[in-house]
Amino acid sequence: MRGILAFATISLGLLLATASLQAHHSFSATYDGNKPITLRGTIVKMGWQNPHAHLYVDVKNADGKVVTWEVESAGPTTLMKQGLRKEDFVGAEVVIKGFLAKDGTPTVNASTFTLVESKKEFVNDEKTP
Amino acid sequence: MTRLTIALGVALALGAQSAALAQARPDFSGTWRLNQAKSSRSAVGNTPDIPFPSQIEVKQSATDVSVLSTSVRQQPISAVYKLDGSKVTVQAPEGISETGEARVDGGKLVVTSRRSFSSPAGDIVVEFKEIWSLDGNALTIEKTRTQSGESSTQKAVYDKV
Repeated sequence: MRGILAFATISLGLLLATASLQAHHSFSATYDGNKPITLRGTIVKMGWQNPHAHLYVDVKNADGKVVTWEVESAGPTTLMKQGLRKEDFVGAEVVIKGFLAKDGTPTVNASTFTLVESKKEFVNDEKTP
Repeated sequence: MTRLTIALGVALALGAQSAALAQARPDFSGTWRLNQAKSSRSAVGNTPDIPFPSQIEVKQSATDVSVLSTSVRQQPISAVYKLDGSKVTVQAPEGISETGEARVDGGKLVVTSRRSFSSPAGDIVVEFKEIWSLDGNALTIEKTRTQSGESSTQKAVYDKV
């Protein structure tokens, strides 16, 4: 019984560690450093999960079609240290500067994003190469 | 005496001319590696504000300068710029179109380029302006990115390998 319990504990630990590693991927594996992009849109949802907070932003294309972008940013703690509060977000207009995902989906890694009304700028301050 | 004076004058004039040429055309040739400690914080790391390659290989002649830019897990970008400032096509990864031009200006190399690619937000156009300067074995590149009316500038320092 103890053996089964130990095995289950170790397996769960490994599973969680793997999930965390997958979430905390390197920039260069997922994003194209040759494709910088600037987006302007409205935040429709905010994900506060670690290790990266995610903004979901509706952006209108030149042809008028609205596309919801997933924007990866710094972790919630980093953003809160820069003065971000949950109530700052949904419905706010935002300008995002970042890099396009390699897989061609509407996903971007934000170097910075700025709330248009308050002019508050938030930096993805994770400088691990 | 007059001949000697003329000969000295010619020698001095030639010397001054070659010194001026040397100053006007610094040689950026070599392999340069990004020095993260000396570069702007927003130019390096996991989420740079402006993309800087981690290594640059430069070959320079009297008429052109070839630049091969590489970064970890990113497709390389290369170009042979004519130093007369004429427009050239940059060899960019698939899906990216880029043109650029280079000129020497007061001992600095100025490279401007225009990159375009498609995205789920439509066609994207980014303009870059790079100002290269040499200080011994250090190459400093000041780079400005302009896109959708927004501009930002960062500085990166490279060490000669």
